[in-house]
Amino acid sequence: MTVDICALGIDVGSTTVKIVGVDAAGNLAWHFLDQAGPRVEDQVDEFLARARQAAGKPDNLPLVATGYGRGLVHQATRKVTEITCHARGIYREFQHGGTLVDIGGQDSKVIGIGPKGDVVDFAMNDKCAAGTGRFLENSARHLRVPLERIGSVALSTTEEVVISSTCTVFAESEIISLIAHGVAVEPILRGLHRSLIKRIVAMVRTVGLVSPLMLSGGVAQNPAICRMLEEETESKVILPREPQLMGAHGAALMALGMGWSVLTPASGET
Amino acid sequence: MSAADSLRFYAGVNLGCAALRLNRWRAERTAPRRQSEYLAPPLKISPRTKELIARHYLEGRYANGHRKVAWVASGAPVELLKALDFYVLYPENHAALCGTARAVEEIATEAEHAGYSRDICSYARTDLGAMLSGKTPVGRLPKPDLLLACTNICQTVLFWYRVLAHHFDVPLIVIDTPFIYTEATDHAAEYVKRQMEESIPIAEKVAGKKLDERRLKETTRLSKMASQLWLEIMERGRHRPAPISVFDQFIQMAPIVEMRGDAFTVDFYAAMLKEVEGRIARGIGAVKNEKKRLLWDNLPIWYRLRYLGEFLGARGVAIVASTYTNAWGELAPMIDPEHPMESGARTYLHPILNRGTGYKLATMKRMVVDYGLDGAILHNDRSCKPYSVGQIDQRDRLLREHHVPALLLEADHNDPRAFSEEQAANRLEAFVEMLGV
Amino acid sequence: MTARVDSPIPIPHRLETVRAYKSRGGRIAAVLPIHYPRALLRAFDILPVELWGPPQVDATRGSAHLQPYVCSIVRNALAYLLSGGLDLADLIVVPHTCDSLQGFASILIDFIHPTQPVLWIYLPRGNHAGNVAFLADEFRALYRRLAEITNRAPSDAELLESNRREESADARLADLHRQRGALPPTVVEFYRLVRSREYLPAETFIEIAERVGGLSTLPPRGSAHDRLPLGKIPLLLSGIIPEPMGIFDALDRLNAVVVADDFAGCGRRLYPPGKSDDPFERMAERILAAPPDSTRGSAIQERLQHLLRLAQTSGAKGIVFYDVKFCEPELFYLPALRKGLQDAGIPSLVIEIDLSDPLSQQVLTRLEAFLEMIA
Repeated sequence: MTVDICALGIDVGSTTVKIVGVDAAGNLAWHFLDQAGPRVEDQVDEFLARARQAAGKPDNLPLVATGYGRGLVHQATRKVTEITCHARGIYREFQHGGTLVDIGGQDSKVIGIGPKGDVVDFAMNDKCAAGTGRFLENSARHLRVPLERIGSVALSTTEEVVISSTCTVFAESEIISLIAHGVAVEPILRGLHRSLIKRIVAMVRTVGLVSPLMLSGGVAQNPAICRMLEEETESKVILPREPQLMGAHGAALMALGMGWSVLTPASGET
Repeated sequence: MSAADSLRFYAGVNLGCAALRLNRWRAERTAPRRQSEYLAPPLKISPRTKELIARHYLEGRYANGHRKVAWVASGAPVELLKALDFYVLYPENHAALCGTARAVEEIATEAEHAGYSRDICSYARTDLGAMLSGKTPVGRLPKPDLLLACTNICQTVLFWYRVLAHHFDVPLIVIDTPFIYTEATDHAAEYVKRQMEESIPIAEKVAGKKLDERRLKETTRLSKMASQLWLEIMERGRHRPAPISVFDQFIQMAPIVEMRGDAFTVDFYAAMLKEVEGRIARGIGAVKNEKKRLLWDNLPIWYRLRYLGEFLGARGVAIVASTYTNAWGELAPMIDPEHPMESGARTYLHPILNRGTGYKLATMKRMVVDYGLDGAILHNDRSCKPYSVGQIDQRDRLLREHHVPALLLEADHNDPRAFSEEQAANRLEAFVEMLGV
Repeated sequence: MTARVDSPIPIPHRLETVRAYKSRGGRIAAVLPIHYPRALLRAFDILPVELWGPPQVDATRGSAHLQPYVCSIVRNALAYLLSGGLDLADLIVVPHTCDSLQGFASILIDFIHPTQPVLWIYLPRGNHAGNVAFLADEFRALYRRLAEITNRAPSDAELLESNRREESADARLADLHRQRGALPPTVVEFYRLVRSREYLPAETFIEIAERVGGLSTLPPRGSAHDRLPLGKIPLLLSGIIPEPMGIFDALDRLNAVVVADDFAGCGRRLYPPGKSDDPFERMAERILAAPPDSTRGSAIQERLQHLLRLAQTSGAKGIVFYDVKFCEPELFYLPALRKGLQDAGIPSLVIEIDLSDPLSQQVLTRLEAFLEMIA
């Protein structure tokens, strides 16, 4: 059974690669996701083959690439940054502006979205692991808590330890020291989440908080992140149905020709 | 200036001062709650110190509308403004107070959220954060009617005060003091004197009165007296055991910085000197079991004073001298109350921070000899480039040429997020072992 | 900085210029950023060759003396010196531009002891009536030290002549900036040309600038606004120095064009002619009348008005602050400037770089996202 796919968007992140197919109306009709492989071009070829099979179409569909590895996607008609694509994707879902927080494996960003879906401002943390999913991943490993459970474990206690280190690596030595002093895992995890959230909130404040706060990216599914973000900003946080697919969806919409008018015709590819 | 504001000032300040006096009276008659195993109790004059500081901020709380208010950088020629009856506030002191009160993270983040980079001085971030949010542990800071910045401590202060001037829309007096790489030039001294003279009409206009020459001489004289007393107090650290440590000095220096030029400040330091001499007579040391004596270079680590004092005290290590606290005493001989402008120009050119890295090293070396020191801790302060740049070479030379063990300790004077307790403790431990304690 | 074979403007390299000048018996001064009296040095037959980094040196030797929070302009300069990069220089001149350069000069004088004499210049901050007099005196003190080193004593007439030549070169430089949209070179070639002022003798620069200026498609008094390239996003760039220069290729690929600049090393050094007949005062006047600059502690309003004027006359749609990381003078001004610009409808982006790193993917993504935003 084939799916009606008219355009594709691919988000080549550093941890995962996501592809989304949209129908003629721009609805998310199909998607696929996998861990990022070592060779982007080959992985993209595979993804495109899957898409063609799902669509039952042998021809190439219009494709826009976004994400960290977009420069390597030679099959793409256009390459657009994840800032613009995430904004498109989230606006499609909610049909209103606000502030989008996207926490990925290796970076995090805050995007101010205007009432018409335009990007008003943005801030990116792409230099320091302490504001990204990697920070929690490392900690989870050290504390021997499965990654998918760190949120609920963090929320299982009201006790919280302050993690003062600015650096992921030094935070590790702090954790070790705390455990050596007999501190329980739950309050440590809670403190680690708080640490991450504080960095995110600093970016939110730089961009300026315009309600509602929207959350996307792999880390969005962590319940502690959502709860703490609400606490720290005193603002409701809403999640799209598919938080990890926002970038790819936005890219697919651009491939379809929606929200395209703002970009001038390409005169040089990256 | 309104009558209502003045009334509020008198009522608030008098009531407040009465309460503060009562607190001090009580504190003087109670034994300190926390008795340290390794350290002597705080000086008996400490409740008075607290009272003076609290009173200063209390006056500030009600000052707007009753007195003209000036925000001043710590190295600036404040005597001019005091002689014109300005209420003088030091944002750096306030920031340090936030540091000791562990309030910096909350307040500085207000500035950071407004776009101020974490790569700028933590004093500035604390102050700008307080300016933007109104948050402060001292109740309420008065708005300035005038700003006075002097570049003899750093250039940062100039940019910081430009921001303040932009925000408050008040006049900013900049006293630009050319940096002394080797010796001060005549044209530099002339330039500073000329700026000080040109600042008088600006300050008079804001103050709404003329500068009284005699008042200026008197204020300068009181400044000199207080600085001389402070110098003598620090020099008592040459005794073994040292009667006070630099941690005491960091707290007790507040009046010489923010209340210099007042008569009560002279009395205060005279009383402190007496108490310090009393300790010497009774052989009381700041560290009960003083085995090693060290120098501290650069600003304090405001948010970890007790921790550092206890850590080192427990190991018999006393920090008895500091290039930083010394800065407020060593220029006392240069002040000439009969020629306040001329001597002021020279004095304000010569603080240690306005002098080359070689001079700083020579100062450290001299203090090691004068105070009989066993080593030095150089606080590698991320927020203070004028003080910190050069320390790597200074440390190297202390070690290799002068055989003075020296530790470079990475931290920040006000921002606890730039301090790693694990790493710092490790280094201090290793250094202390190296001293052979 | 190499000149392309097919480039219409052959510009002599830094090294060949230095060698040629020395072979004629002249001396070389390695000059640190930013403001200094070119005319004074040339009057002593000393060619000032500016040191902005250089970019992409191995910074390790600099890190042995300077903490990581000292900017890469200063750190690289020290590393370059320590690895022999300044061996052809006869003297080193360090203007007092900031706390880091203050420390740099100080450790050279007190600890590192390079073979070359180290000369400093203190630049007045603030707006004081006595600024010109003081700076003139600083220059006189510099004159005395240069006289000791070179055994020469240029007369006032010679100093004024040298100054006249520099004023002429700066006038040509200002023309180039005004004509930038109408000139044949690409943006990166434009910057190679204007940055050759960092080392070319004034007379050589004048020659080249006149040749290029003659190729302009604009009438002499026209502004670049008249020739805004269609379809490209016009940007104003601000910062200390345009390094890495790779930014221009990146902007070109992203369909943007730089239409005005506020770099401390470029646009903020468009010195107007002086007025005084006293050569030292005249040199001082010129520097003190330069556009508002954070390193000279200009008032925030002055900086803001200057940027707004620049943006308006050039037609820039956005401003990229392209700053060297850890630059405190720049960092203090940014929030107020960005707010003022935003209120006037001009979006801005801040990028912080290290001179020794190539432009990262992260930086390119930010640029791209910003351009998508303002397009």
